[in-house]
Amino acid sequence: MATANPSKGELAERTSIAKPTQEIAKSAGLTVDAPTRREFLYYIWGASIALLLGQFGAGLVWFIFPRFKEGEFGGEFPFSPVDLPVVGDVPYSVAAGRFHVSNTPNGLLALYGVCTHLGCLPKWVPTNTRFECPCHGSKFQGDGSYIEGPAPRALDRFVVTVTYADGSTAETDASGGPVPLDPTKAITRIGVNTGKKVLGPGNT
Amino acid sequence: MSILPFPSFLDDVREKGLKKAVFEGIDETVERITAGMNLSDIRAALRGDTMRKPDPRLRPHADSFWLHMRPGYFHKDMTGVYPTFRLGWLSTYFVFFETVTGLLLMFWYTPSPDIAYGDMLNMLSNVPLGQFIRDLHRLGAEAMVLIVSLHMMRTWVTGSYKKPRQFTWFTGILLLVLTGLLSFTGYLLPWDQLALWAVTIGASMAEATPVIGEQVNLIVRGAPELGANGLLRFYLAHVLALPIFLFIFTGVHYYKVIIHGHSLPPKLENIGEDTAKRVPLDKRVYFIPDIMTNEILWMSVTTFIMVVLCVWFYHAPLESHANPQVTPLGTTAPWYFLWIQGALKLGDKFFWGIAFPTVLIGVLAVMPYLDVTKSRRYAHRRISLSLAMLLITFTTVLSYMGLPEFAVATSAEREILHVLTFEPAHNHVGPARTIPFNQAAPGMYTTEQFNGEDLALVMEEMNQPVIWNVVSKDNPVLNTYATEYDVLRNRLVTLDYAAALPARFRTVPDDAPRLREVLEIFHHDLENEAGELADSRGFIVIQNVQGNLKRVDFAIVWNAVEVENGVVLRNEDGTAKLRYLTDNDGNQVVERRVEALHFYLHADSAYFD
Repeated sequence: MATANPSKGELAERTSIAKPTQEIAKSAGLTVDAPTRREFLYYIWGASIALLLGQFGAGLVWFIFPRFKEGEFGGEFPFSPVDLPVVGDVPYSVAAGRFHVSNTPNGLLALYGVCTHLGCLPKWVPTNTRFECPCHGSKFQGDGSYIEGPAPRALDRFVVTVTYADGSTAETDASGGPVPLDPTKAITRIGVNTGKKVLGPGNT
Repeated sequence: MSILPFPSFLDDVREKGLKKAVFEGIDETVERITAGMNLSDIRAALRGDTMRKPDPRLRPHADSFWLHMRPGYFHKDMTGVYPTFRLGWLSTYFVFFETVTGLLLMFWYTPSPDIAYGDMLNMLSNVPLGQFIRDLHRLGAEAMVLIVSLHMMRTWVTGSYKKPRQFTWFTGILLLVLTGLLSFTGYLLPWDQLALWAVTIGASMAEATPVIGEQVNLIVRGAPELGANGLLRFYLAHVLALPIFLFIFTGVHYYKVIIHGHSLPPKLENIGEDTAKRVPLDKRVYFIPDIMTNEILWMSVTTFIMVVLCVWFYHAPLESHANPQVTPLGTTAPWYFLWIQGALKLGDKFFWGIAFPTVLIGVLAVMPYLDVTKSRRYAHRRISLSLAMLLITFTTVLSYMGLPEFAVATSAEREILHVLTFEPAHNHVGPARTIPFNQAAPGMYTTEQFNGEDLALVMEEMNQPVIWNVVSKDNPVLNTYATEYDVLRNRLVTLDYAAALPARFRTVPDDAPRLREVLEIFHHDLENEAGELADSRGFIVIQNVQGNLKRVDFAIVWNAVEVENGVVLRNEDGTAKLRYLTDNDGNQVVERRVEALHFYLHADSAYFD
């Protein structure tokens, strides 16, 4: 066991504490023989069954995964320019499309009405002039920006296309920010595309 | 030589006489059915006589299927109410109770969004005992959650999770989780508002899972939006997948009790010893008949309590049909999930919705492997018992935070109207809906009825015109001179029904005490919120719509105050800052606001207060 001439103290230390690993393993009954061929084949067999069950599992997920086409939900909602709120006024809610049209000083926004927290529908409360979610109390401004509560970000937006009388159009850009309206032109058509959602900006 | 060409009962009759042969036949049959006890054994057991050797009372536990899951005898000190409180047995009984009532409900239920809610109404109105069975199933579910949780706390407090029962505890935590999941999947099935929104929140929580969140969410919902597929999935989980796991793990849990015996009250054993399997002869209480009859007694009393509650005191709530376009105000989880709702209000949905409950349940599950101290004595387990109390306190605080009062309170007028009129949710209903149909006399009533001594004078004043400064998108009213009666009538009353309305405000008729009570509650609510609702008045307008249908409007008229971020702005003297408008002549006038909410009262609707 002990190699080159250890001192007495060292020897005591080694024998009591630092026994060679193999010896410790043996005294604790931990020595492991190499598997025999028969045993090894059992393991392989077991592993292949586990693999097969794994395939069943993957097949199950594949089987129960819902079938739908991308973009199957949502589409263009015409929004009457008559209903467009005055700048800074209460957002106009379209229940069927689950969105609110908000006319902010910076432009037009179509806010997706579903709370960014856990999917409830915040309601506009006139007295407090803000959206308040009845489930966990997230609050949002009329322009969708986050005020307080557990929501991780401002309300999401839908892409809006504004068509003016002269045929020119304005559309929500990739950032999802408000579409500036040209006050000199008459609006003939507003389309809200509920199939195209832009995530609201995160809380700062 | 047999009478028939093979040995038969007739041979016995010839040999022993009819009486003896019949008796022996019956005796043998009984012994076979009970797997070991003949008629005289049963009688001896019931009389408490000394049994023959070997004790036939143990044979059914060794040889029969039904009793092989139960120990043959208990320790005498285990048979009192302490230390088990019979919570384990009651949990098992509720598994059975819920299975039976659930199977009965399945006769009248179709898991389809088009039909499910109608099935509920049919069950409530048409099916004999339909409402009763539904009430039993729902109340049983709540009782089961309560009893399973108490069972867990009891096991914790008496230290019964310790060696050698660690794995029993582990399966117990699995059963607790399964109980919670069964309850959760159950409440989508009626397809009412509570169902839809509770499950929307639940599925959205699943979506917060990192990496595979979106896939998990889709698999749970069955489609991007909760619909027919989602309902079917929840139904299958509720009636098939989860019960299978529940039954399997109930079996494992029970088998472990056979293996390890019931843990004794801590003080009866030396520290670190487990003597549950070595019950001295004089301490044995045999399952047959003592424990068995005792358990049947507990079942009977529980069933009796459930029946009494469901006949007189409890009805399973049903809200209005699921509407994906409106989340009702005051949407709350049932009481046993309020702690999650409270936690979710704290912030990040992954942390509070996924990580926090998972870690909590995970730590609970492996607790016996972490707390390996030997002693089960209360005095030696201060940390463990403190943690148990801490958990109870923590869940209580989180549950309080789950209530709508915490962080979800909205403006005063909406709160008041909602609290008065909300549909049955859990075990509560807005008081306005408890007005009996025959007390809802058509007319316009006002909370001013309770202001001032001279009622006639007050009502006279109410019918005088006042100046109105109301702004709403559709009809701005500025500086109009009109009575409140006319303004509300124009706003709330449909012309078709107007004819039946008295032409002025009236006091509540004497034969409508409940209506008067509700008006009084309304009055007090407004007084309590005088800070936010300056100079407010409340109104109830009741109109006949059809012979058996009345429309009830609740309206509040008040002077608007300035609000910023949900907080009322105040003058230096503490009064609320009023909100002013500029009228057509450029004068500053106080804005008067109107907020109204209505519901319909049907002759056959009977809500319980």
